[in-house]
Amino acid sequence: MNTDNQYLLSLKGITKHFKSLTAVNGVNLDVSSGEKLVIIGPSGSGKSTLLRAINFLEVIDDGHIIFEGKEAGYIRKNGRLHLDKPQVISALRSEIGMVFQHFHLFPHMTVLENVMEGPLTVQKKSREEALEIALAMLAKVGLIDKKGVYPATLSGGQKQRVAIARAIAMKPKLMLFDEPTSALDPELVGEVFETIRSLAVDGMTMIIVTHHMGFARELADRVMFMESGNFLAEGTPQEFFAEGMNNERIRTFLNRIL
Amino acid sequence: MAFFSKFISRVAITALLFLCTTLSSQSVQATATDYDQLFRKAGDLQSSGDLNAALEILRQIPTPAKGEEGDDFVRSRMQMGRIHFSLDEQDKALIVTKEVLALYPDNSEAKNFLASINKQKRPAYMNFFKDAVSFLPSLMKGALMTLLLVLCTMLISPLGGLFIALGRISPFKPLSSVCWFIIWFFRGTPLLLQLFFIYYGLPSLGITMPPMTAAVIGLGINYSAYLGEIIRGAIQSIDHGQMEAAKAIGMTYRQAMRRVIIPQTYKRLMPPVGNEFIALIKDTALVSTIAMVELMRSADQLFNTYFNITALVLAALIYLLLTTIFTFIFEKIEYRAGIYEHR
Repeated sequence: MNTDNQYLLSLKGITKHFKSLTAVNGVNLDVSSGEKLVIIGPSGSGKSTLLRAINFLEVIDDGHIIFEGKEAGYIRKNGRLHLDKPQVISALRSEIGMVFQHFHLFPHMTVLENVMEGPLTVQKKSREEALEIALAMLAKVGLIDKKGVYPATLSGGQKQRVAIARAIAMKPKLMLFDEPTSALDPELVGEVFETIRSLAVDGMTMIIVTHHMGFARELADRVMFMESGNFLAEGTPQEFFAEGMNNERIRTFLNRIL
Repeated sequence: MAFFSKFISRVAITALLFLCTTLSSQSVQATATDYDQLFRKAGDLQSSGDLNAALEILRQIPTPAKGEEGDDFVRSRMQMGRIHFSLDEQDKALIVTKEVLALYPDNSEAKNFLASINKQKRPAYMNFFKDAVSFLPSLMKGALMTLLLVLCTMLISPLGGLFIALGRISPFKPLSSVCWFIIWFFRGTPLLLQLFFIYYGLPSLGITMPPMTAAVIGLGINYSAYLGEIIRGAIQSIDHGQMEAAKAIGMTYRQAMRRVIIPQTYKRLMPPVGNEFIALIKDTALVSTIAMVELMRSADQLFNTYFNITALVLAALIYLLLTTIFTFIFEKIEYRAGIYEHR
């Protein structure tokens, strides 16, 4: 396999079936360091599955995931892919942060403990170090005053910001956002959007799956339109929102969203 | 204290009655009758301690016919009353006194005696307490053994249950099958039979053990099997997103289980586990069949020796006390385990 060092992440021919359904069908994608990629598309088009495959939460049936120039996460035996050893996968995941639609904060831990958990348990940092990192991350998402409370007392927007703090506390090289604002009330979308934007300003490489066109317009270096398991069109936001209109299916989709 | 003072007053009354008897017997001697001999005989028997024989002699003095002189009758019945009273047979003392009062309602001696009997007559609950005091030491010894069994099983079975649960959900098929088999077997056969097998059956395979060990092993495995299913249910009821979020920050399966999933099961586990442990307190009674002297066995021994139901009532109260204490403890733990859900 000829690996290319210029990209942080390269996907080649990623394919994932669910029984008879092909969720992701031979996707190729290169992501440069510092790039902000937004993936849009109708539901069921395979966006989330692709994102989860990058974090090895979905085991792909075929293809190559090349992370930092090295083929990552799978061993090929008799032409079939097998997920690598759990320790290898865990190490890879600790370099790739992920934020979920439904936050998935740990409800039995305080906000501070949620953010400390990764550095403490996974990176085996000392309590003092983990505390220092967690406080810095909470300051970054503007929730330092909520450090002592349990997630049950937070609003949806606050929960998602804590989830972002928990992910970036691992100092990941790549952040994946799986519809980060879809479960939020409209008035709470803004604060999460602002938090993600501040990460973008810091130069974080990110892939965002969203229905929120604000991400595409204001953050994206590149917008990908996905349908039926593969990319149908891509371009800069300007190209996309102008030229995308020439494509019947993208136009239909955008008209429905906007 | 109240009990003691009643005892003192009874001694005083008996002394008083004795004084009356000696005084009256002097007057009887003055007017000697046909029954003198009987009274003398009864008095001899009484002083030699054969009170029942004395009662029989006195009983021979008949009820007077109409118009007949009845001093001997009254004297005999009152003496019987005093003997019954000294034997702690207040009911019988009452009957003979009432015999006198039926014929001579104004007899002051009988009236006074009746009053003092009624005052001294021990109510039923006093009997209960008296028995309770005598039974309590051996019942408490049994209860202590029951408590020890319960605590041992409470320590063993959650650990065993956790291993069985984790084994059941393990993707490693042989382990999962073994755990399934353990649950299937120990949940599907009576605990009593399992205890018999361990204590009476294993010796034929050359494995002998003291009853306590057999009881703890039997209860421990049985309750591990039950708790295993409860713990598995609780683990699987935790939102799948929790495992994904834990994995997403780089945790291994073990770390995710230990740090994220299992701690969240505690609150959900407490109601069913509390239920099981209450059942356990009562199920320990089964080990009385394998020569363990615990609460049930102690109560049974007392009941069979004295044929006194108080032993069983007391045992029931002690079981209730134990289950009540543990119910409160479990409620406290459940509240504390779920404190993070409070808004």
